[in-house]
Amino acid sequence: MQSHPIRKALGKQGAALHAWAAGWWRVFHFGAIALVMAVSPSAYDRETRNVMARQIYFTALQILPGFILVSALACYIVMRAVITAASVYGFTEYAQDMAMRVLVLDLVPMFVALFVAVRSGSAIGTEIVLMHINGELDALQRRGADPMRHALVPRVIGSVVSVVALIAVGGAISLWLAYVEVYGLSPWGIQDFTRSVGQIFDPAATLGLALKSLLFGLTVAVIPITASLDMPRVMRFAPIGVMNGLVRLFLMLALIEGASLATRYL
Amino acid sequence: MDSTPPPQTPPEPSREPVPVTSAPIRHLELKAALLLVLTAVLVSGYIGYVLYARGIFESTQRLVLTTDNSEGVYVGMEMTFAGFSIGKVRRIELGDDGRAHIHIAVPVQNARWLRVSSVFTMERALVGGTRIRAFSGQLDDPPLPEGAERQVLRGDSTEELPALIASVKGLLQNLQALTSADSSLGQSLGNVRTVTERMAGGSGALAAALGSEANANKVIAAVDRTNKLLDSLGGVSARLDQTLVKTDQRVFGRDGIMDETQKVVTQLNAVLGDARESLKKADAVLADAQKISSNARGVTDGLAGLREEVDASLRKVAALIDEINRKWPFKRDTELKLP
Repeated sequence: MQSHPIRKALGKQGAALHAWAAGWWRVFHFGAIALVMAVSPSAYDRETRNVMARQIYFTALQILPGFILVSALACYIVMRAVITAASVYGFTEYAQDMAMRVLVLDLVPMFVALFVAVRSGSAIGTEIVLMHINGELDALQRRGADPMRHALVPRVIGSVVSVVALIAVGGAISLWLAYVEVYGLSPWGIQDFTRSVGQIFDPAATLGLALKSLLFGLTVAVIPITASLDMPRVMRFAPIGVMNGLVRLFLMLALIEGASLATRYL
Repeated sequence: MDSTPPPQTPPEPSREPVPVTSAPIRHLELKAALLLVLTAVLVSGYIGYVLYARGIFESTQRLVLTTDNSEGVYVGMEMTFAGFSIGKVRRIELGDDGRAHIHIAVPVQNARWLRVSSVFTMERALVGGTRIRAFSGQLDDPPLPEGAERQVLRGDSTEELPALIASVKGLLQNLQALTSADSSLGQSLGNVRTVTERMAGGSGALAAALGSEANANKVIAAVDRTNKLLDSLGGVSARLDQTLVKTDQRVFGRDGIMDETQKVVTQLNAVLGDARESLKKADAVLADAQKISSNARGVTDGLAGLREEVDASLRKVAALIDEINRKWPFKRDTELKLP
């Protein structure tokens, strides 16, 4: 009598846990498939390239001028704040190093990931959940096209390329600003600056930055897509799918950044 | 709000392929390719720059520094010469001798600053990291050979800190003991104050020296009495002078002792002349007596009587001389020539 509702509750909990684990499993599975497809040249055909190019265009190229402006402004403010604070406490010689480290290794990648997640991650999630509910993916399959290859994976690859491109642009801007902020436009600081760069970006830091960029790029596309595909094919579930995708996406971004900080400083 | 989705739902199936195929973008793939190229250029440029910055493309010379404590030294740390980085720490290992071996890679173009006589120091500051510095006093010396091993001199400002703090603490304790209310310094200062207060009083420094006003008054009274005593002593000495003048007159003046003594001496001379005469007579008598004694022994009785007379007269002379001596202390012509 009494055990029945408990078992029922446990069953409900268990089912929820199972669904949660299965959801994350699909995320990693899809991510792995996307990675494998991205490195296999045979996966690229005309349509794949077209979808990929569209994704890159909407995610990175369309916003590039605005992104350059905003990130230059943000980098300048952060750099100024760090250098001023350091000079107040008498650590001027460490200010440039500190600012470059913080900006290039942490703030710029995180900023890019959040920017792309809010702008493109939500768009991808909405697009896929609509395609999924409207049966567009099934229609593709019926036409003989692989939805994974022609609709989903190109978006993931496009996101990865866009995120990496934006991080590279942001990093270059912040390095340039770090130089100009300290030495002005004169070329006489190049030797000193190069030395600082050599000290900050050791192999571990560079490798960590590359891995982080790749994971951020994968995350902003893979998680919204899987969350959208998880939804039942009912129109009123579409917002829930998009929302789920975004929540998981932010959780994952925080986890990646946390892991990156932990490996670097712990 | 709720009414908007239903009208949109019917046309959606007809728009299904729209997002994938329609809305062509001009030169889409070219633009994407350009972004890819830009990304590739940026990434490879970044990697190349970092590799260059880390000195991958430079040929280096090895230098091993040994120290008993490599705390604060890390791989990638720089060795400076005159404030410029001339080498980087490549490896740190604990040698078989129990000392830390710091392997430093010095780019060949910077190696000219290092000579056989170069000195290497490692300093640990309170703020900031450890620094390794090279000093070359004689740049004419032969260059440092490849793989040279040198001992690094350590200077650590923090190491001496505990000892410094301990001694400062001791110093502060002493200072505290010195300045506390019951310290000897405090008491001394209190005493000084008492003394100066007394000095400022009516009796001045005397009261300060003697401890109280009453004592000072006693001393002043004593001095006053001494002054009086000295005055009376002056009178005494004047009278003494008068006495001395009188004595002088009595002794050496007219009809003084000396005068009378001279008279006595004159008289004495007369007495002595008489005595000499008597003695001459006695001598003659004795000579006669000698002549007679051989013949007559019985005459000796009469001689004995004479002799007594002579003795008596001699005793008188002696007594007279003694008296003169008593009266006249200065021996002047004291020798009395007896026959």
